[in-house]
Amino acid sequence: MKYIILSLAVFLSACSTAPVKQKFPEVPKALVERCESLKKIEGDRVAITEMLKVVVANYGMYYECAAKVDGWNDWYLEQKRIYESVK
Amino acid sequence: MSQIGWMLSLIPDAVLNWAYWAIIIAGLTGVLAGWLGRWIPFYGNYVKILQPVGIVLLVLGVWLRGGYDTEMAWRDKVAKLEEQVKIAEQKSQETNTVIEKQVVEKTKVIKGKTEYITKYIDREIVKNQEIIKYIEQCPVPKEIIDIHNQAADINKAAEGKK
Repeated sequence: MKYIILSLAVFLSACSTAPVKQKFPEVPKALVERCESLKKIEGDRVAITEMLKVVVANYGMYYECAAKVDGWNDWYLEQKRIYESVK
Repeated sequence: MSQIGWMLSLIPDAVLNWAYWAIIIAGLTGVLAGWLGRWIPFYGNYVKILQPVGIVLLVLGVWLRGGYDTEMAWRDKVAKLEEQVKIAEQKSQETNTVIEKQVVEKTKVIKGKTEYITKYIDREIVKNQEIIKYIEQCPVPKEIIDIHNQAADINKAAEGKK
């Protein structure tokens, strides 16, 4: 009788598996665009204003790229928080 | 074994529940009848059969019942997780929309500001007499242009090392 009770207790632990898959989150299209290459000054005799325009354009491109990097950081932190909320 | 599980899954849960309880009750009845039968005259011959059959039925019933309970517990967990995943996917999509909007908006502002400064140079700076005089007298030396262009290509040195 003891063995019956023991085996019943063991059999009660019968189990099965049930997988739940979480999809990897999509990335916003604006973030996957590559940063542009910096502009160069064309020509040998260049006015300082022309050079200034190239510098301004490059500053602009830097900040556009920085906005994307900031976006990636925000995206990662938010998606991580959401992912970890599923338990 | 998986085929048996699949076939069992076709039977409604409530029917399975009742069937498992019926097997347990039959098993218990068999065990008890086998135990009591020893004191009942002429019934003792059936004890040898009833008791092992009862034990087998009881073990089988408890095993099936345990599996059923575990299955139900897992299904409940799965349902809760699926719900959580669904909410998380929705939140993820909403986050993407917000971040995309922020990046697009920032990029638009930066492009606009860059364009404004460039136009300002063309519109105002180049008309400044002092600057006109400076431009005429002092073109940017080639060495400075070369250094600027080399600096703009710094990333290519890093790409070359990959």
